[in-house]
Amino acid sequence: MNDGAKLRVLLADEQSLFREAVKVVLSAEDDFEVVAEARDGIQAVSEAVRTHPDVAMLDAGLPNCDGIRATQMIVERVPNCRVIVFSGEEDERVLLEAMEAGASGYLSKEAPLADLMSAARAVHRGEALVPPRMLGALLQRVIHRRRERDEALKRMTNLTRREREVLALLALGADNDLIAQRLVISPETARTHVQNVLGKLGVHSRLEAAAFVTQNGILDDLVGVER
Amino acid sequence: MSVSIRRPVRKQEVWLRQAEDENVVYDPDSGAVHILNATAVAIWVLCDGETDPLEMVDAICGLSGLPHEVVSEDVERILDEFDRAGILSWTE
Repeated sequence: MNDGAKLRVLLADEQSLFREAVKVVLSAEDDFEVVAEARDGIQAVSEAVRTHPDVAMLDAGLPNCDGIRATQMIVERVPNCRVIVFSGEEDERVLLEAMEAGASGYLSKEAPLADLMSAARAVHRGEALVPPRMLGALLQRVIHRRRERDEALKRMTNLTRREREVLALLALGADNDLIAQRLVISPETARTHVQNVLGKLGVHSRLEAAAFVTQNGILDDLVGVER
Repeated sequence: MSVSIRRPVRKQEVWLRQAEDENVVYDPDSGAVHILNATAVAIWVLCDGETDPLEMVDAICGLSGLPHEVVSEDVERILDEFDRAGILSWTE
């Protein structure tokens, strides 16, 4: 948003009455403009892609692709759009999932509408917005995730360069034949590499190895080996 | 040589009460009541004996986007206040 320009908002909630109420309040402000509305998650994503709003306000419980998944898709497809997720009441699980999906803020619908406006302005300035009472739990989760990722990276250092390449392919769903084809090795050699990877990571199946990569968000670290 | 990392841990007897806009920590040993702001409450929650101050700073920076020096100073000051109030101990 340029100086003096309005903050462009996408509003997504299944209930038209709620959307209408928020729209009335926002429209009364000089610095807001509701540029799109949506009643489900899929519509929210397509409207975000179409209108490129500054801020998207999404209900966590949207039908046809919930607000968390829609957040993830909007953040991926419209990187400049900040997302605020709201839910019926303060819910730690929803907060954590929303922030992990890339939301910049979280509010409960129990909060005054004025809070929604300050939240939109705050996230647009680049701030993260979390109900103060839920901050401790969120930070605990962030720290826990970092520890898991550090541990995963530590286990990855035991892998050879080739094994990392194999792990990256496993994470992308490749079987032995495809791994062999991509790395120009025999399927038997590919199988041996896979067994070594599973052993070094301490996991019991290819699926577990793939989950290890995706859950810890380390695919880029593996792919980086290729570069 | 390994460097030991000190981690703050809440005194077990001390309890936190969170109301609408007020966060109160009460120490039954001393009878002292401490009113905390939101950041101090979050740090209080993180004083679990497993989290070191640097992890706290990194997590807050990651979430808030605030500069490391600013957050580091805040965390240090708040932990120091808890320490002086006698509601915290340290594990190594």
